[in-house]
Amino acid sequence: MTSLPLLQNALSVGAILFVLGLVGILTRRNLIVMFLSAELMLQGVSVSLVAWSRFHGDWGGQVLVIFILTVAACEAAIALVFVLQAFARTGRLDAAAWQSLRESSLARVVDQQLPSIDTLPPVWPTLSPAGVLPQADENETLQREHV
Amino acid sequence: MENISPSTLLMMVPLLPLAGAILTLLFGKALGSRAHLPAIAGIAGAALISLVLLVSTSLEVGVAAGLHAEPVRPVEMITPLWQWATVENAYTPAADTHAAIPGTPLSATTHEVRPFSITVALRLDPLTATMLSIITCVGLLVAIYSIGYMHHDPGYPRFFSLFALFVFSMTMLVAASNFLIVYVFWEAVGACSYLLIGFWFYKPEAARAAKKAFLVNRIGDFGLAVAIFLLWMSYGTLDFHDTLSANGTIVPGILGQTRLADAGGYQLSDAAGFAGGTIGTVICLLLLLAACGKSAQVPLHVWLPDAMEGPTPASALIHAATMVTAGVYLVTRCAPLFVAYPGALVMVSIVGATTAMVAALIATVQNDLKRVLAYSTISQLGYMFASLGTGTLLGFTAAIFHLLTHAFFKALLFLGAGSVMHSMGGVIDMRRFGGLRRVMPITAATFLCGACALAGVAPFAGFFSKDEILATLHSKAWPEAHGNHQQESPAAGHAQSDMSRFMPTALNVSTGTTAVGSAGSNAASVNDGLNSLNRPDVWQLLFSMSLVTAGLTAFYTFRAVFMTFTGPLRVPEEAGHSAHESPPVMTLPLVLLATASVVSGWVLWSTDWLTHFLSATPSLTFAAVAQTAVPPVFHLNLAIQGTLAAAIGIVIAAIGSLGRRSDGPQIERFLGPLGTLFANKFWFDQLYSGLIIKPLMLLATLAAIIDRSVIDGLIEGVARVPLAIGGLLRQLQSGMLQRYALAGVMGVLLMVLVLAWQLRS
Amino acid sequence: MNPALFSPGLLLASAVTLTALGLWLLLPRGSENRSAWWLGWLLGAVALAGFVCAGKRLGGIGEEAVFLTVSLVAIVSGTATIVSRSPVYSAIWFALSLAGVAGVLLVLGAQFLGVATIVVYAGAILVMFLFVLMLAQPSGLASYDRVSSEPLLSAVTGAVLLGLLTLSIGRLSVGPATPEPLALASAASDSPATSSHAAAIDSLVKNHVARLGGELFGRHLLAVEAAGVLLLVALIGSIAIVSRGEPDVVDHSLDLQPLTATKQSQGGRR
Repeated sequence: MTSLPLLQNALSVGAILFVLGLVGILTRRNLIVMFLSAELMLQGVSVSLVAWSRFHGDWGGQVLVIFILTVAACEAAIALVFVLQAFARTGRLDAAAWQSLRESSLARVVDQQLPSIDTLPPVWPTLSPAGVLPQADENETLQREHV
Repeated sequence: MENISPSTLLMMVPLLPLAGAILTLLFGKALGSRAHLPAIAGIAGAALISLVLLVSTSLEVGVAAGLHAEPVRPVEMITPLWQWATVENAYTPAADTHAAIPGTPLSATTHEVRPFSITVALRLDPLTATMLSIITCVGLLVAIYSIGYMHHDPGYPRFFSLFALFVFSMTMLVAASNFLIVYVFWEAVGACSYLLIGFWFYKPEAARAAKKAFLVNRIGDFGLAVAIFLLWMSYGTLDFHDTLSANGTIVPGILGQTRLADAGGYQLSDAAGFAGGTIGTVICLLLLLAACGKSAQVPLHVWLPDAMEGPTPASALIHAATMVTAGVYLVTRCAPLFVAYPGALVMVSIVGATTAMVAALIATVQNDLKRVLAYSTISQLGYMFASLGTGTLLGFTAAIFHLLTHAFFKALLFLGAGSVMHSMGGVIDMRRFGGLRRVMPITAATFLCGACALAGVAPFAGFFSKDEILATLHSKAWPEAHGNHQQESPAAGHAQSDMSRFMPTALNVSTGTTAVGSAGSNAASVNDGLNSLNRPDVWQLLFSMSLVTAGLTAFYTFRAVFMTFTGPLRVPEEAGHSAHESPPVMTLPLVLLATASVVSGWVLWSTDWLTHFLSATPSLTFAAVAQTAVPPVFHLNLAIQGTLAAAIGIVIAAIGSLGRRSDGPQIERFLGPLGTLFANKFWFDQLYSGLIIKPLMLLATLAAIIDRSVIDGLIEGVARVPLAIGGLLRQLQSGMLQRYALAGVMGVLLMVLVLAWQLRS
Repeated sequence: MNPALFSPGLLLASAVTLTALGLWLLLPRGSENRSAWWLGWLLGAVALAGFVCAGKRLGGIGEEAVFLTVSLVAIVSGTATIVSRSPVYSAIWFALSLAGVAGVLLVLGAQFLGVATIVVYAGAILVMFLFVLMLAQPSGLASYDRVSSEPLLSAVTGAVLLGLLTLSIGRLSVGPATPEPLALASAASDSPATSSHAAAIDSLVKNHVARLGGELFGRHLLAVEAAGVLLLVALIGSIAIVSRGEPDVVDHSLDLQPLTATKQSQGGRR
């Protein structure tokens, strides 16, 4: 692969990752997922930087990516602490729980009642007819499903 | 004292009361019941210095100099303090016309471009020295009286602060040597008057009276302002005195000696623009308007009776003795201007005599003691104006003479009335008094002295000054009876031909009219019209009015005396059992003023000192004034006429008031419809209300409606547009973090799209 | 793909549309629909192909097989990260995406960064995320995991942005202002200037870690120090914030929905 197509391909990958992260941060309401999306955006930027670094034969891009890693680590540490505090305050990881900045005359945004998830009861693996059906531990079942 | 120059002394006169006012204002609360100390100390110092200045000035004039021996040497001393304002190249005479240029002989020096410079300068001349002495001495006595009168008032420090401030303003007014500075302090005394009338501002009547006084005074002040504009346009300076310009030439002041020495100095050019002295007449009439406002002359007299709502000492000092005489002072100071335009001069007399008569007639039916005195003040000021209008030296000096004696006896009367009011629990209605001489003998005795002086009873001060006024009016009405001084005066012989153009003497009235009218312009018709009033029969009428007024004065004065102090003892119940003579601090000034009222007239008349002293005032050394000087002659027939009028008035008052007493308006009943006219004060207030106030209120209401509905509606309509847009945009502010982020991203995207569209190749 | 039928612009536009549509279908919208979910993935794959074709930059599939593979891994698992209902799955998918990114970085010759990404992100940051999830995530799916905020608008915005980026990346080859593309060491060039550039690029690969370290601690020493201080501050800051103590009262007035309703739905699922 020649230099320019490699650059363009790498930039495309970076752009796609960036846009995916952007969409994630704009839509997902779980604070943790929002942070994951932010990291995804950083990944997209990192890829672009490294691609340019290679294209120009310059170390700057790569050095910058190292700093991005550092900042991402810091950001994650601080942000997760905030998330924990927010969770302690509201009991939820919902970004939409915080609406205090809205215009005082506006009503609070409340979700529609969600339909219940009509998934089938889980089908557990069955043993061959030989022997006795083991008794499933109720607690363990609850914990395992849908982590 | 020898080390201190007169300039320093002159500066001290206004400065001491000012310092007193400021100190009282600052430390009044701390001083408590001694808050009068700084103010009284300041005024006392000023009074002392004023008397010293009076003596020093009179020594300079020279007592021994004969009146007719030589032309009187003008005496003045100018003390420039600092330059207040300077505008370079402000006065540029018109290039091709002599429109704004004074008379021909001076025009050569006035063709230069001049700066507009206002120098704060104090002047000292006989007139100023006299006025300063009157103001500070009467002010001191009234201030001492106020210690007792205002004793329990919560605004004690405020009163003395304002009082001292007034004395400062008034002394500055008479000591200023520049029309603009005069205007400043003209307003300042008005403001002090406003504050003192409204001293008890929580009383609605007092607040309304203060407002009325201020508004009516504004009319006069407007006249003064326009007069000053015209003076600047015409003369290119506002200084009274001559000044040196930057290039060393003498700038003749409006009342400076350069212009005084030149007969043509006050004849404005006849060239295009201002036709034939009309502008000069207009200036004089505007100055007269200003004087009418401040001195409460008809038709601007309506504020003074209402001003009695203020504390009595303030009424005594400001609204009787000093401030209201500012108009007299102004006309006297501007004597050369008036003398040059006889049409305006005769208006002064007409206004004065009319005022004297009208106010006296109103005073006859007043039952409020202070209002009687207020109307008598207006009436006496009318006398002074009538005297000023004669334009003779004797007329001016007689006016100042009467001003001086009036200051004493009117202050005395007011303080006496205040003393009565003080002990009668604030009641001032004469119908509820009677026989008070038994309760308060000192007040009664001193009040009687003042009443005699006001009525013009023979040995008292008012007799002599009023006699001089009557004499000077008589000399205008029947000049042949007094002999023509011009023909007796050889010194004026050669100047007669050009003087005769503006000499308002009886002999050349007919020629004077045509001389001024020879400008041939239609615009001069005002002048002609006014000049045509300058006839002996008009003067005879004025003299008769003054004589009748003298009788009326005696009548109402003694009506008040009889109603208040004689007859069976009647004390209003408000006084309770505390009806008593006032404390010594109040009676002492009464006694002193009574003494002055008794002796001042005799002393000054017999020695003829005041006339001689005042004739050295620069304004009065103007040839046209100085040549009207007459030797001091006592006109026995005039004195008899005046005394007779007074006696008739007193007798009628005695008949009406002594003996039968009732609370009803007996005099009004006796006078019939005329009484109604007088009691309603000639319907002046109603006239103003109907002609000016009501239409203005209507207009204001209309304007308010338009303002509220149309203009405010428009503005509010405009304001509603962004409000509505904001209401729409407000819906976006949901507080949802991710919607904000989305909006931000979309905004960025929009910008990128626009950029991409523009950069497409 | 017939070029006559699909002009590049049309191709790009349809790729953008498909991306938006696919993302919207994939994102949680409250109601679960398996077929929509599969359709979303399908549309996304087609869109990706559209983007690839729009770029027309891939040579023979064999040459770039490695690159294609790792980037596909990165992109697909990145998509899965943002569309997974369960945040734990998101985290796992993110880890896979990191692996893909690390592969891309390796292909680009940044060996150190490739490894560091795995080590730092997957090894440290992601584990931290998971810990927090264990601490904070209520059992089962929360209501806020099942709905998105403005999914359609966001998906369209993202897709348009991606289209614009693709367009400008495509311009790189044809734009007059584009610098002379540098050849890799393998693609030998005649001009001395490019050969020197090739040597520079070569130098990025040779003794890579040592030279990167030299670069870091030479030219960028100050920035490294600053980053170290930043890390320290973040450490202290997070400890300070946590040790302030948690409010013991849970503010239920902030709930968007009664928790009982959520539990009911979860109960129904069980």
